[in-house]
Amino acid sequence: MAKPFTLNEMLIIAAAREINDGENIVLGVGLPMTAGALAKALHAPNATLMLESGIVDFEPLAPLNHIADAHAMRGYSYNTDLFSIFTALYRGFVDVCFLGVGQVDRYGNLNTTTIGDYYNPDLRLPGSGGAADFISYAKRTVLTMRNGEFIENLDYLTSPGHLKGGNQRNECRLFPKDSGPCALISTQGIFHFDSETKEIFLARIHPGIRLEDVQAVVPWDLKIADDLSVTDPPSDEEIAFIRRFAPTHSMSRELAAELGFEYAMSILQELGKT
Amino acid sequence: MEGRKSKITTAREAISRLVHDGDELVIGNYTVGTCAELVYEVVRQKRKNLTLYTQSGIFDADVLVAAGCISRMVTTYVLRSGGKSGGSSVERALKAGILEIEDYSNFNYNARMVAGMHGFSFMQVLEGIRETDLFRKRTFMGDDKYRIIQCPYTKKEILTVPAANPDVCILHVQRADRNGNAQYWGALGSVAAAALASKRIIVSCEEIVDESVIRSSPNLTILPAYRVDAVVECPWGAHPSEVLGYYNMDKLFYGLFLEAMKTAEGMDKWLEEWVFGCSDRLAYLDRYAKVFHMAILNSLRAKTMPSSPANYGAAFDSSWNEDGRDRSTGKTPEEIELILEQREKLYG
Repeated sequence: MAKPFTLNEMLIIAAAREINDGENIVLGVGLPMTAGALAKALHAPNATLMLESGIVDFEPLAPLNHIADAHAMRGYSYNTDLFSIFTALYRGFVDVCFLGVGQVDRYGNLNTTTIGDYYNPDLRLPGSGGAADFISYAKRTVLTMRNGEFIENLDYLTSPGHLKGGNQRNECRLFPKDSGPCALISTQGIFHFDSETKEIFLARIHPGIRLEDVQAVVPWDLKIADDLSVTDPPSDEEIAFIRRFAPTHSMSRELAAELGFEYAMSILQELGKT
Repeated sequence: MEGRKSKITTAREAISRLVHDGDELVIGNYTVGTCAELVYEVVRQKRKNLTLYTQSGIFDADVLVAAGCISRMVTTYVLRSGGKSGGSSVERALKAGILEIEDYSNFNYNARMVAGMHGFSFMQVLEGIRETDLFRKRTFMGDDKYRIIQCPYTKKEILTVPAANPDVCILHVQRADRNGNAQYWGALGSVAAAALASKRIIVSCEEIVDESVIRSSPNLTILPAYRVDAVVECPWGAHPSEVLGYYNMDKLFYGLFLEAMKTAEGMDKWLEEWVFGCSDRLAYLDRYAKVFHMAILNSLRAKTMPSSPANYGAAFDSSWNEDGRDRSTGKTPEEIELILEQREKLYG
């Protein structure tokens, strides 16, 4: 009997499986960091993990707080600056990048900048950071989606996916050939992009998720693979790694925040400060 | 080296002398170890109408915007608290129409500083951006946000950004000497470029060290003394962010800030307590000890994990060998003087 898992764990594990041994990997903040650590520990020991802050070839000891967090690693091999990370990317030395999704459309274009009008926003989201550059020049991009949403029309196009679909990304001659998002991994399933139309479709569904649950969060008639299969469930080893390495990544953000707050209050109480 | 004037001063004096209303101000730190105390001092001195450059705005940028110091901002990233139900000072200022923002990608923002740092007028950047709203949507920079030119060699179109040379950079580092040599290690990000692009530089540091410490490890020096205008010694100067080798992020305190930044009222209260209510970083630490406990800060102090020493040594330390003879000619000083005289090479 396999060990039960959380949907966050399934997302992290599915992301980690996209990493091949020996590849150069750029990781965004959050769950992808844990995916990178998991891949390195279990099946891709020779992957080189890179951060846009200039940290290259690190072995994380704990989940990183952000992309410049040298506090959570056991040394690293190469220290350069942000400029040089992106020029290495531009020259083609990054195999895979992982990006978190705010809003995503059917061609894998991303919005992480604004909800509503850019000049008079309803919500001002963080912005591009390195995302727009990474998805432009990494050989392939894996999108991870935890709290993001599928949307017909983006309010702002921050990071270029397959643009308007078809061969448009190749035809505009601004990007490496056949680059762009290759997969989107959510807490519900694994999506790929059609090789001709570049439209996103559901390729695998996570164990325990119903098809109608996936369709309910996609505002268009989602295409489904003819050979739709169920994602291989996490192995005990994969689950054990996440629970040891990053216990809060097994949980939802809300639960982690709730438990963190309770713990902080108990510390203050112990110190006589409430 | 004696007689070189010390640049050590206080945050109050440095900000008062070097940051002016209407300046272009750049926060040099990137995501980690930010110059919190220098930022708070800008707020205390109520600077107005600044254009803020920040590679990645965290609580630092949000505090400056909340306090009304910033009217324009050039960035790639701003902090937002609490998902859809949350907010930020930046969002409130944008909605109120009192802040304009130019959004870049990380590389394209940094390229403006790198161009400025080297004295160039523009920089070629990663052109995939042309297919995004980062390229299409512009505010106060208008046509000058990006321009496309033809490469004279390949004849291809290339995307460019203009150089940035902010009036003043504030940044925090691990250590510096009295002359202004600043040493920083860990994630390099775009720290050096932001500072070196700027006309004036204010450095705060965890500790002032002797010049000999700097000279024994020059690869760690990111800013040379001759570029730095002021040095401020400020332990815990980046709190609640972290400084490699000194302390970790204070997640408890940061969490309280994230709660406060969700609303204008929360932010005002927070500024009153932690910025205006503390005359300097010592007063801030006193307040921290009263409201929380020094035990919490102490638990965040870094353990020791030294870098393996690099040998900066060489085979010789002078021109003279153990017999007192010049290593390249085999002569003593007296013999050299005699030859110069004999060959009529001496004047005066």
